[in-house]
Amino acid sequence: MLRRVAWVALVVVTALLLQSTVFAEVQLFGAKPELLYLVTVAFALLEGPSEGAVVGFASGMAQDFLLDQPKGITALTLTLLGYGVGLLRSYIVSPSPATPTLLVGLGTFAAVLFNRVVAFLLGEVTAGFAFVLRVALLTGLYGALLTPLVFPVLRRVSARSRPPRVVRW
Amino acid sequence: MAIAGRARNARLLVAVLVSISLVTITIDYRQGGSGPLAGLGRAALTAIAPLQAAVSRITRPVGDLLSTLANLPRIRRENERLKDELAEARAAVARQASLEARYEQLVKLLGLQEALDPPTAAALVIGSGVSNFEWTITIDAGTEDGVEVGSPVLAAAGLVGRVVEAGPTSSLVQLIIDPDSRVAARLASSRETGLLVGQGEDDLQMRGIDPATEVAAGEPVETAGYQGGLYPPGIPIGVVSRVVENPAALEKFVTVRPAVDFSTLEVVLVVLSSRAR
Repeated sequence: MLRRVAWVALVVVTALLLQSTVFAEVQLFGAKPELLYLVTVAFALLEGPSEGAVVGFASGMAQDFLLDQPKGITALTLTLLGYGVGLLRSYIVSPSPATPTLLVGLGTFAAVLFNRVVAFLLGEVTAGFAFVLRVALLTGLYGALLTPLVFPVLRRVSARSRPPRVVRW
Repeated sequence: MAIAGRARNARLLVAVLVSISLVTITIDYRQGGSGPLAGLGRAALTAIAPLQAAVSRITRPVGDLLSTLANLPRIRRENERLKDELAEARAAVARQASLEARYEQLVKLLGLQEALDPPTAAALVIGSGVSNFEWTITIDAGTEDGVEVGSPVLAAAGLVGRVVEAGPTSSLVQLIIDPDSRVAARLASSRETGLLVGQGEDDLQMRGIDPATEVAAGEPVETAGYQGGLYPPGIPIGVVSRVVENPAALEKFVTVRPAVDFSTLEVVLVVLSSRAR
């Protein structure tokens, strides 16, 4: 279990570092990819709603402390995202290679919108609905494009760090 | 049963996490930048900064590449804009240099104009000779300004030539380097006089110098200013550039380098009353 936590923490910290360095510079059409959203969706898809929510919460909280906005907004967003995607997993009867891509795209789009609505309710200045919509769409698109590259890595990490299944007679 | 239990646990977990998030939001919102969470945020930034610096160092080339690729259209636009701005700046610098040079010429000319007895008219050089065999310039002063054929033309550095054609608003000036030009000149030291003949791109030739006259390279040469001559006396023409000693010759061979740089001539003074003198 401890090994699992360490692996997830490593993934979250790595994603956070990459998000604040490499991806912070990749701004195309006014938006940049959200790596932690992708990580949350990936873990939710691979492990279910509980782990999705925990990873989302941890990722969101870690990111919140690097943002100049009320702390907890991203944690709330990613917790719900992880839980929601984890729940959706049980409704997917025939998973295809495109499923993670689609879910990351749609999930990121919805989560970014939700995040901005909460921030708006807390008095955070937002540059208008059209801008938020555009950023949410682009972020979702970038997340979807990154998924084929990142998802296999996360699947391998998740599989390796999973505790061995104990079979009781 | 187990599935229902796991779902209930998941809901409970999410409720706890959402509650923690909401409490965090509330505390941070109420306390702003002075609360414990803000302090925690600063600590997190401090802790992660070295890691970020290390990752940045490693991933900067990748980040730069991705950033460049992502910003290619904007970079291209910016490049075009900067090129335009550079061209404008270069043009402005060139204009500025030109204006400064012209200003210096004008200041010198003003001094010369004040020093000259006969009245003069300032004129801009508006063209150069079109023939390969004539060394002339066109100036923007003509008979309406009092310019006549034969009027001497000066620059700040010295003698330029004389007007050979005068229109109402412009005139053609034959430069002293034109092979048809003849100027009565005097060596400033020995006071020996001679006739300066234009040689085109080469230095002027000074003819009629007594072979016994001591002439040294670098000696100034000025207009002689004979009674009834074209040019006022004492106008610098140039300096002696070469002296060829030949005892058998009837005259000393002297060449004179003009003081005026005709290639950069922009403003001149036309002496108006030379004929009247």
